[in-house]
Amino acid sequence: MTSNMKTIFSSAAALLMLATTAFAGAPDEPRQLDFDNLEKEIGKRGGSLKMLMAKPKDVRWMTVYSGARLVAYDETFQLMPDLLKSVDNDSNKSFTLHLRKGHKWSDGQPFTTEDFRYWWEDVAQNEALSKGGPPRELLAAGKLPKVEIIDSHTIRYSWDTVNPLFLTALAGARPMYIYMPSHFLKQYHEKYADAGKLAALVESEKVQNWASLHKRFGRQYRPENPAMPTLQAWMNTTKLPSERIVFKRNPNYHRVDSEGTQLPYLDEVILNMASSSIIAAKAGTGESDLQARYVRFDNYAFLKKGAEDGGYKVLLWPSGRGSEMTLLPNLNTKDEGFRNAFQDVRVRRALSMGMDRGEINEAIFFGLGREASNSVLPSSPLFKDEYADAWIEYDVDQANELLDEAGFDKRNDDGVRLMPDGRPFEIIVETAGEQSQETDILQLITDHWKDIGVKLFVKPSQRDILRGRVSNGETVMSTWQGLNRGLATPEMNPEELAPVSPVQGQWPSWGNYLASKGAAGEKPTLPEVARLSELYQQWRGAADYDEQSRIWHEMLSIFTDQVYSIGIVSGGLQPIVVSNKLRNVPEEGIWSFEPTLYFGQYLPDTFWLEE
Amino acid sequence: MSIQSGSSMPEEGTSELPHFVSKETFDLKSVEKLTPEQEKIYFASQLTLMWWKFKRHRVAVWSGIFLLLLYTSVLFSEFLSPWNYQTRHSKHIYVPPQSVHLFHKGSFVGPFVYDLKRKLNLETMQREYTVNDKKPVKLSFFCSGEKYHWFGLIAADNHLVCAPKGKPFYVLGTDRLGRDMLSRILQGARISLTIGLIGISVSFVLGIVIGGAAGYYGGWVDMIVQRVIEVLQSIPTIPLWLTLSAIMPPSWSPILIYFGITVILGLLDWTGLARAVRSKLLSLREEDYVLAARLIGAKPSRIIGRHLVPGFMSHLIASATITIPTMILGETALSFLGLGLREPITSWGVLLNEAQSINVVAVFPWLMLPVVPVIFVIIAFNFLGDGLRDAADPYK
Repeated sequence: MTSNMKTIFSSAAALLMLATTAFAGAPDEPRQLDFDNLEKEIGKRGGSLKMLMAKPKDVRWMTVYSGARLVAYDETFQLMPDLLKSVDNDSNKSFTLHLRKGHKWSDGQPFTTEDFRYWWEDVAQNEALSKGGPPRELLAAGKLPKVEIIDSHTIRYSWDTVNPLFLTALAGARPMYIYMPSHFLKQYHEKYADAGKLAALVESEKVQNWASLHKRFGRQYRPENPAMPTLQAWMNTTKLPSERIVFKRNPNYHRVDSEGTQLPYLDEVILNMASSSIIAAKAGTGESDLQARYVRFDNYAFLKKGAEDGGYKVLLWPSGRGSEMTLLPNLNTKDEGFRNAFQDVRVRRALSMGMDRGEINEAIFFGLGREASNSVLPSSPLFKDEYADAWIEYDVDQANELLDEAGFDKRNDDGVRLMPDGRPFEIIVETAGEQSQETDILQLITDHWKDIGVKLFVKPSQRDILRGRVSNGETVMSTWQGLNRGLATPEMNPEELAPVSPVQGQWPSWGNYLASKGAAGEKPTLPEVARLSELYQQWRGAADYDEQSRIWHEMLSIFTDQVYSIGIVSGGLQPIVVSNKLRNVPEEGIWSFEPTLYFGQYLPDTFWLEE
Repeated sequence: MSIQSGSSMPEEGTSELPHFVSKETFDLKSVEKLTPEQEKIYFASQLTLMWWKFKRHRVAVWSGIFLLLLYTSVLFSEFLSPWNYQTRHSKHIYVPPQSVHLFHKGSFVGPFVYDLKRKLNLETMQREYTVNDKKPVKLSFFCSGEKYHWFGLIAADNHLVCAPKGKPFYVLGTDRLGRDMLSRILQGARISLTIGLIGISVSFVLGIVIGGAAGYYGGWVDMIVQRVIEVLQSIPTIPLWLTLSAIMPPSWSPILIYFGITVILGLLDWTGLARAVRSKLLSLREEDYVLAARLIGAKPSRIIGRHLVPGFMSHLIASATITIPTMILGETALSFLGLGLREPITSWGVLLNEAQSINVVAVFPWLMLPVVPVIFVIIAFNFLGDGLRDAADPYK
């Protein structure tokens, strides 16, 4: 039975390949990479790259690593067209996007403005498919853009006011998709598909309605559906879930090397599934050609030991996160005592000053990290010492003084401070429970906080459960990683510094207020948070770089001075296991989700395997 | 009682019976004389007999002595540990086990260790320690070292052995936060060894009371108890432990959690014992001496407690000894999975939980040392239980 199925599948796949190869090829106007400038060498096509992943969901990293975006960041973090041939930006108010002639989806169908129109008219503004309407990034001063289709390869989005977010959203690690393969998805769309066929499909796939069908088969960020065409360098060919997910070369990929050979060099990328806790062990025996995910700094010594036998080298890339770990005091927690406590800036500052970051750095980060608040990193143009050093000095006396002032001046027999409502000041910190590093750091902080009369309990749970509890205000304090955009430039979205979303651990309810446009959550009551919210809105309307820069600085200054998230150590190192055979992987890089898209910035389509 | 007829009885209807008393001295043991050796055996109490029998099981005796020593050490773990088990030596992270020397450059110095020099190897990102054999660090005995509270109560600073402050002395190495492994294993013994005892007392009480009731009353009581036991035994233990330990609030103090875990282990473990008690009672309650006790008017609780249970107590003790290692392993397993005890409580399971990574196996193997005492204790308990079971029925 299964073998039958397999033959059917493989022959179908073979047919598909035949069909596609008939149209295969780079666009007539491909994006030619300047290898000299990028310090890359010309490679050979072929070979398959093995990587290890833990969950079927991890196929999304292929979209991130692959890194094809309408516009993308270059080495200096400037935006430039990638999938697009060019963009005409009229002072951030109107954007004319020019597509490449002859650009095709991975299945050979042309990539045209019809795909943009389909998304804009039939998806983004369809009640069933997009409940809250088009994404926030498409709104400028609350208004939707005017979309004009000029011809099959030109489209213009324009607003009355500026929308600086538009291009950065297109370049995101999880980008805003303003296009969809219309030729493929129309078969699942109520408006285009035959009603009878659609009903039968809904029935056989056991989903509620056609919209769920459309969503399920049309995911672009998470390429789960092998039939769904893509523009990325590799396309998924395996139905999920599977222990071995094979990505094959996209024959119509738009980038070519400096000699005109179409990229990617690698024929296949294979994701082998393994339990996350043994991935480091497997990588250490050379089972992965390129591995960074699920490998941590504390695995480095072990990996280094096996490097010679395993035939790989281990690179260390600095992390691009604002902080390796932060504590988020929940300013909106349901517990009134803690809510009042954490809304008092003196308490937050005292907690920050009560931890000995030097010891944490020494014990956990080998002394290589930087003891800093959760802020931007030194290599960001927005960096200032005063942000990184805000309230991080280990000063037990001052911390005690601050807590006394804040009304936590009584202590019980164990020396634990009493909250103004009489309960002992015992903070339960909830973690996603994935890394022993987190628990180690919390263990150290527990000891440090004893000296300031604060008791800490660790409650490990799971990432999704933790998210839910945070959004509901059930957590008192949680741990999360620091700013994703630790390398921010003024043009990048400063949303992480303001209450914008209910998953933000320090102000879920205030975040929900903005996310739901006032329908849910609460309006920020603290003037500083309200100011952050206001500044964020201002940034959305900022006309130029200087204006954006000014707003970023003010936000950073408030954010770090008010200690809304207690950063611990920044500049951690990410070990990267690279097979000796794999070429064109730079020795030095930055490991971050945004803006470098993990490997995406370093162009995995140019990586190749030497025989 | 009927009087036996014999030739000495006078004929019916004749004269009065003459009063007869034998002049000979009455010798109780006239039938059979016992040699002194036999006397020793036949008049020995049951306990003495068990002890004799037990002594003949050499391995069991040695296991017993080993366990006795360990349990005694539990009373003095703070004194025996060279350091406080929670003290972090940030300058001495991941120190491999050091060896103790007696002779320095050919001359006797007494027990000492060499000072360590630390180097950060930025190539492998490891802390490398080299022995500085110019500087012997002499160890002192019965000395004042780090302050501690004995059992969390009495302040003291006496240690069996200590090194000068700030100098390295880690016979079993240190962990990722620079804590001394020997001290942690000793401290872990206190928790891991006692958890078995406390757990076993809970399950003992439950097993005897519930099993006793079921066996003595029979009928519907027995029926219900049997069904409950079946249900309890059919639940897979790990998910059940998981649920029970998840409902313990995180704000409980570690000591409360410790008791919670022991009670959980005990609450789940009584079923086997209850079955054994029940089946023994079912047969014993039909004995005449039970009937006699009941006729005299003894209450059921007295009959069970005074007449029935002592009849097979020795058997119960032996089976309990074999159950203790199950408890110890249960705690270790729970903590290893991260469901049982948590930092800052230190048990062998907690220590092993920290050692479950590929780094430890490959780079810091000494962190797996807590496995050694676990294995030895389990084996010792099993031998001891074996010896006790053999001894439990000395009349065989």
